This record gives sequence, structure tokens and C-alpha cells, in this order.
Amino acid sequence: MQKILSVEHIEKYYGNKGNVTKALDDISFTLDKGEFVGIMGASGSGKTTLLNCISTIDTATAGHIFIDGADITRLNSKQLSRFRREQLGFIFQDFNLLDTLTAYENIALALAIIKTPAGGIDVSVRQVAKALEIEEVLKKYPYQMSGGQKQRVACARAIVTNPALILADEPTGALDSKSARMLLESFERLNADLEATVLMVTHDAFTASYCHRILFIKDGKNFQRAGAREGYPQAVLRKNHRSGNAAWR
Amino acid sequence: MFSKLAFKNVTKSIRDYTIYFLTMTFGVCLFYMFNSIDSQAAMMKLSTSQYQSMKMLTAAIGYVSVFISVILGFLIVYANGFLIKRRKKELGIYMTLGMNKGKISRILIAETFLIGLFALGVGLLVGVFAAQGLSVVTAKMFEVSLKSFQFTFSMQAFYKTLLYFGIIFLVVMVFNTISISRLKLIDLLTAGRKNESLKIKRLWISVLLFLVSAACLAAAYRLIIQNGMMSFGADFTWSIVLGCVGTLLFFFSLSGFLLRVVQANKKLYFKNLNMFVLRQINSKINTTFLSMSVICVMLLITIGTLSTGMGMSNAMTSNIKNTTPYDASFTYVYHQDDPKKQIQDIAKKMLADKIDLNHYAKEYVQLNYYDSKLTYSEFHFDRELLKQNFGDAAASQIESELPQSPVEVLPLSDYNKALALQGKPTVDIGNHEFLINCTVGQLFPQFNRYLKSDGVLTINGKKLTPAFKAVKQISMTTAMSGSDAGTVIVPDDVVKGLSRTQEILNVNYKPGADEEPLLTQLDTVYNKTAMENETIFRPYDMMSTRNKIYAQSVGLSTMISYLAIYIGLVFLITSAAILALQQLSEASDNAARYGLLRKLGAEEKMVNRSLFTQIGIYFFIPLSLAVVHSIVGIKVANNAVSLLGHMDILGNTLVTAAVFLVIYGGYFLATYFGSRSILRQSENSL
Repeated sequence: MQKILSVEHIEKYYGNKGNVTKALDDISFTLDKGEFVGIMGASGSGKTTLLNCISTIDTATAGHIFIDGADITRLNSKQLSRFRREQLGFIFQDFNLLDTLTAYENIALALAIIKTPAGGIDVSVRQVAKALEIEEVLKKYPYQMSGGQKQRVACARAIVTNPALILADEPTGALDSKSARMLLESFERLNADLEATVLMVTHDAFTASYCHRILFIKDGKNFQRAGAREGYPQAVLRKNHRSGNAAWR
Repeated sequence: MFSKLAFKNVTKSIRDYTIYFLTMTFGVCLFYMFNSIDSQAAMMKLSTSQYQSMKMLTAAIGYVSVFISVILGFLIVYANGFLIKRRKKELGIYMTLGMNKGKISRILIAETFLIGLFALGVGLLVGVFAAQGLSVVTAKMFEVSLKSFQFTFSMQAFYKTLLYFGIIFLVVMVFNTISISRLKLIDLLTAGRKNESLKIKRLWISVLLFLVSAACLAAAYRLIIQNGMMSFGADFTWSIVLGCVGTLLFFFSLSGFLLRVVQANKKLYFKNLNMFVLRQINSKINTTFLSMSVICVMLLITIGTLSTGMGMSNAMTSNIKNTTPYDASFTYVYHQDDPKKQIQDIAKKMLADKIDLNHYAKEYVQLNYYDSKLTYSEFHFDRELLKQNFGDAAASQIESELPQSPVEVLPLSDYNKALALQGKPTVDIGNHEFLINCTVGQLFPQFNRYLKSDGVLTINGKKLTPAFKAVKQISMTTAMSGSDAGTVIVPDDVVKGLSRTQEILNVNYKPGADEEPLLTQLDTVYNKTAMENETIFRPYDMMSTRNKIYAQSVGLSTMISYLAIYIGLVFLITSAAILALQQLSEASDNAARYGLLRKLGAEEKMVNRSLFTQIGIYFFIPLSLAVVHSIVGIKVANNAVSLLGHMDILGNTLVTAAVFLVIYGGYFLATYFGSRSILRQSENSL
């Protein structure tokens, strides 16, 4: 299997000499192409810091991160933004759509930034919109859409550039359970059909249950690696949550 | 404790305050500078008439200062509103901590006071030094030498500045307190997250409105060009109304129109961040179109006052050389009904009253005018030409009055004496010929038209034909402006037997002679009591000297220039500061959007370029429309000013452009760099 992401002994410190906080303390893991991996942990455990380091928004104090073979800890700011727009797709908890643009334009913006010719933009946008079933909202502005639609538009924006790695930070955090399920099913489909590699931060067990593998973080350290192979009762977890939700309804 | 908090707030948010502070400082500086002009006069050698002009200038600046302080007051209140808006969240936090509104108001008052005090201090300091420079300019304008350069400080201007700005700050404090008392905690805390509700207009409506606005502006331009600025009839009013409506609609529809046009070109629309920038502007247009229109009008006034104000003074001073060919002129208008007052010779009568002109004058010449018994109807003035040259209202007045007015004739020998006195070559005409002399510019085309039509005049029973096809433009007297509405010059024998209408005595002084003793002597002999008791009568009705006219005109032109610069600069900094504050506060509102662009991988350069474009559009669209407006306006104004003399359009436009480049361009760059650092800062805090 081709390694898409390889994180090696990442450390991130805040503060100065006398008063050091270790947000990330020697974390290592790898991600293969086509994997769908979740990072779980309590609030303050360092999962968002880890995601920020991988997404090049923040820089690690020590250690190396390789994405598609490139060491991103050694890139300058210009290379970083280039790397970001060509290799990464982002999905945020609060959607982060531009409220001044229509859904179509929000998706097209990602393509415009990587300087796609105008002719190619329309084809790509329509393709990805079809895959995510948001064709009917393309002409709408964010405030005219539901949360689930917004998140699927954000998702479309993230994958329309065919990134090597999609990073999602609590993508279901602001969604109701039905929308959350629709989104996660879209992720599953993208993952299966397009072989998109997804790394998702969440603290919600139901959301995590869609992942192939889950990485637990506690106090900035790899706490436990879990997944189907290690016998984590994935299927059971998912089932429980679904029935739990059913009971709530 | 609270003053400490206020002080810390000011130093902390120094960036937000920079533009506000600089603008206020500049305002204070201008205010002091122009109000201290009378104290600068102390170091100049001024004649009595120059001193009076100076008094007039001071008074005019005093009146205008009230208006200026209202404008500056408005700006400061507006800027404060913006700063409060920027800090809603901070104020919200104070309130959740249990601070009451009164205390918050007091913190804000302390802040306003601190900044105001600081701006006043710096502004006055800079103003005092700048005033020294201005006094050199003033001396130059008045064409006087400085006795000796001395550092002046105007206590009066100082107190006045303190008083006016003190009042402004009081008003600001009241406004702040009101706006604080209206705030709701919930709004304060969620202010950062609230999105502007987008009013999506249908784009084709924008296109339609844009076309309507273009039509309005075109109609307004057409009306004002036809009507001119000399008459204020219905056409003038319509042109102003249409201009205002057109300007409003222009800004209301522009962004939608641009969006529509660019969207039609997919290549352009999806290029770089074009789409983002256009949508940015379109999303704000509901709230900004009004301020953009106001700014456009203010810029128009700035361009207008700066370029024509300076131009007018130049036109007046250059023109005055032509209208004052003699050192002094005495005019006596004949009183037909009073035979006692027929004098025939002004100089002789003066000599009889013990005033010997030869004592002062190198040479003098008397011109005798006679009644031709003709009226102006003889010249068949053309209605359309009159309208073109005077404007509608003035033309109809002239049309109803002028044809009945009598035409005066002047014998050729007198005319040639006047020419000789000016050192100009004399003219010769045949025994049955005449020429027309005129110094009112607007009437030239009428007379030229008449002369070319080979009109024949019958004066005193003699038929005369034109000697020249064009009107002569020789000043027969020294005056403020050309006042000869057309005199017919005829061979000497033609005037025999005609009755006199007026006499003009033109005098040239001996080289280096001082006119003051002559003026004093005239005032003593022909004093008020003697004239009222009719123990003596004065052989002239009007007297003007070149020196007096120069002093008056320089005073007037200095006044016009200074007022133009004063008003123009204040308007300029006000509009630039409003734009700058709007854009800076928008930058902090938009920090999240720009942050998102970076996360999506947009390069620093790309983001900066889109920021530059966005701010550039806000700054330069109102300016562009104002420039178009003012091209039309200056063209029309120029027609009006040409009454006074020729105006150097190009030179003034260049000076105005340079002023704009420095001040407006400076504000633009400051806004751009300020916004950029706000965005960078927010990126770092991610």
C-alpha cells in the first residue's frame, strides 16, 4: 500500500523555558492511500493541534511530517500555500463557506485558486456536485441552505481539486444526526469510489464509527491505536449508536 | 483604574486610531493655520487698502471656519461610531463582568478625551509652524515684503481652536454615551459572528438601474452645459437634481452591473480571486452606496474649489494688468439738468480748487464722450449669441434693457491720445469711417458679427462705414474689470454739436511718485461737509487708481484662493478618512474570509492583490465619477470665470492632481497597509 501520510515523532510546545506546555508529545503514525481514519480524544487532548500541524496551518516544534513523500516541515511559506492548494482539502466544523458567494462559486473558488482554466471549472463543479447530491443548491447562497447542504458544499469544495489528503475537523459537529449520517455516507462513498484518503478529527463516537481505523490521543500522546484489526468492536459501536439514535427519535 | 483602562485601550488599539488621530491632527492644524492669518499680518508692510483686504480675509475665514468645524465634527462623530462598532465585543465583555453602561461611557469619554487632547496638542504644534510658512505665502500673494521674519503665535486662533474642537469633543461624548446606552449585551457579544444580511438584488435590475443612472447623468451634463453657471433657473435646478439622482443610482447599481458584466466573461470571472472581490463589494453595496455618493460629491467640491478657486485668483490678477493701463482715472458723468456743473475740463477745475495735477503727474489726458443719439438696437444683437455668452437669464435681461441704451461716441483724436498715453501705436480711419471699441469680452462676438455685416451708422447726419472688421479692445480707463460695453470712435468733425455724456481723465504719475499725498489732498479739498453744503463740487464722480485696484484684487484673489484651499483640503481629508475607516473596519470584519482563502491555499500575493483591488475600487470609483463630474463642472465654470479673464486650466489641474495624489493616495496606501496588517495579525492568531 502507498503511504500518503507519515507522521514521525511530532512534538509541539507552547510557552517558554520556565513554563512549557507539551501540546503534542512524540506522536507517530502513518496513513495509507484510500484509508479513512479518525482521531479521537477529549477536548484539550491535542487533536486539533495535530490536525493543524498536518494541514500546515501550524508548524511543529520537532519531528517530521511527510505527505505523498514530501516533508512539509521543511517548506517555506510560498511552497506551503502551493502544497496546501494542490495536496490538501479542508472541511471545517462551521463549514467556512463564503457567505457572499453561491454554492457553485464557493466550489469554483477552490479551482480558481489553483488557476484552473475557466472551461474546466464548470465540468468539475458539476461532477462533484452530482457525486454529493447538491446539484439543486448550486445557485443558492449559504444562508439559503440547510446545515447538511452547507457541509456537503464544503465537502465538494474540499475534494474538487482532487487532493491527496482530505482533512476534516469535526465535520459533523454542527449537524443534526440525519445530516451527519448523510455526510458520513458521502465520505464513505468518496472514500470507496474515488479512493480519497480522509483524516477526520472528532469526539463523537457515532461519527468515528464510520472510520476504518481510529487513533486515540490523550495529553498529546498516542494513547491507543484501535481499528478493526485490533478488535475494536466497530460494527457493534455503530449499531449501538444507531439504535440509540433511533430510541431518541 | 478606569483611566488606566482607557489609557491602555488607546495604546493597545493604536493602529485603529492612527488614521483617526492623523486626520484630526491635520484638521486642527489647518484650522489654526488659517485662523491665525491676521496675526501674521503683523510682520508685513501693508498699505491701508491692503490692511482692509486682510481684515476682510480674516472675517471670511472666520465665517467659513464655523462651517468647517461642522464638517470636522461630523467626521469625528462618524469615526467614533466606527471605533465603537469595532470594539463591540470588548464592551460586551466589560458588561458581562458587571460593569454598568455609565462606567463604560466614562471609559470611552476618557479615551476620546485622551486622543482629542493629544491630537489637539500635536495639531496646534504643527499648525503653529505651518502658519509661519503660510505667512511667507501670504506676503507673496499680497506682493509685500516681510519687514523681518519673526515667529508669530496667534493667541486668538489658539483659543478659537481650543473652543471649537472642545465643542466638537463634547458633542462626540454625548453621541458616544447615547450609542452606548442603546447597546444590548446580546448584540455586543455576537457582533463578531453576525453576518450582514444579504439583500440579493436581481442582477438585471442593477443593469437597468445603471443604464438609468447613465441617462440621468448625461441629461444633467447636457442641461448644465447648455445653461451655464450664470443663471439659476429651472434648468439649473433640474441639472443638479438629475446629477444627484444619477450619482446615487450609479453607486447603487455599479457593483451589480460590474458583476453582471464580468460574469458574462467566464475567463475573467474565474480568474484568480476576481469572483471573490466582486462579490465582496456587491455584498456591502447596500450599506456603502450612500456614503460613496456623499464622498463623490465631496470630492467633486474639492476638485472644483481647488482648481477653479486657485484659477480664479490667477485669472483676476492676470486680467488686471489689461484693465489698469493708467496710474489713475477720474470719471465725470454729465448732469444735463444742472448747468452749474458743466465743467468741460477736470484738470482745470482741480487747479481752480488748488490741486495742481502737474505736481504729481508726468502726463494726463482727458477723453470726452458724446451722445450719438443712437441706441444699441442699431447693432442687432443676436439672441442665440447672447444666450451662449451670458446664459439664459442674463441674456433675457440684457435683451430687454440694452437696446434702449444710448450709444456713446468718442472722437478719434481723444482715442489716439489714450493710446499714446498707454504707449501704443495710434490708429487712423477715413473721414467716413468708424471703429468700435469694447472691453466686455462677451460682447466681442456680437460686435464682430455686426462689423462683418458692413452695417452703416448715421451719426450727426453723417453716414459712416466700419474701418475694421473686428472690434478694438483698448481700456479707456483704469478699473477693476473691463466696463466699456461698446463705444463708437468717429472722425473728430462728426461730434461737433453733439452733447457731452461723460469725461474721463487718465493720469500717469511721475516716475517714483507716491500717490498718497494726492489722495490726501483730494480728500481734504473735496471733503464730505463741503460737498454736502455745496460750497464746492467735485469734478469727478468716480476715481480709481491702479494701486488701489491691485490691493483690492489681490485681497480678493487671496481670499478666494485661501478659502478654496481651506475648504478643499478639509473636504478631501474628510472623505479620505471616511473611506479609510470604512475599509479598515471592513478588513477586520473580513479577516475570517481572507483567512479561509489562505487555508484554501491562496498565495500571500494573490490575497494581497485582491485586498488591494477591493480597497482600490472603494477609493477610486467615487474619485473617477467625481473627476468626470468636475470635468463638466470646470468647463462650465470656466465659461463663467472667463468673464474675469483667462484661466490657466492645465496648471491648476496639475496642482490639484498633485494634491490629490499626495493626500488621497496617502490615505489609500495607509488603508491598504493597515488592512493588510490586520489580516496578518488575525492569521497569526488562528
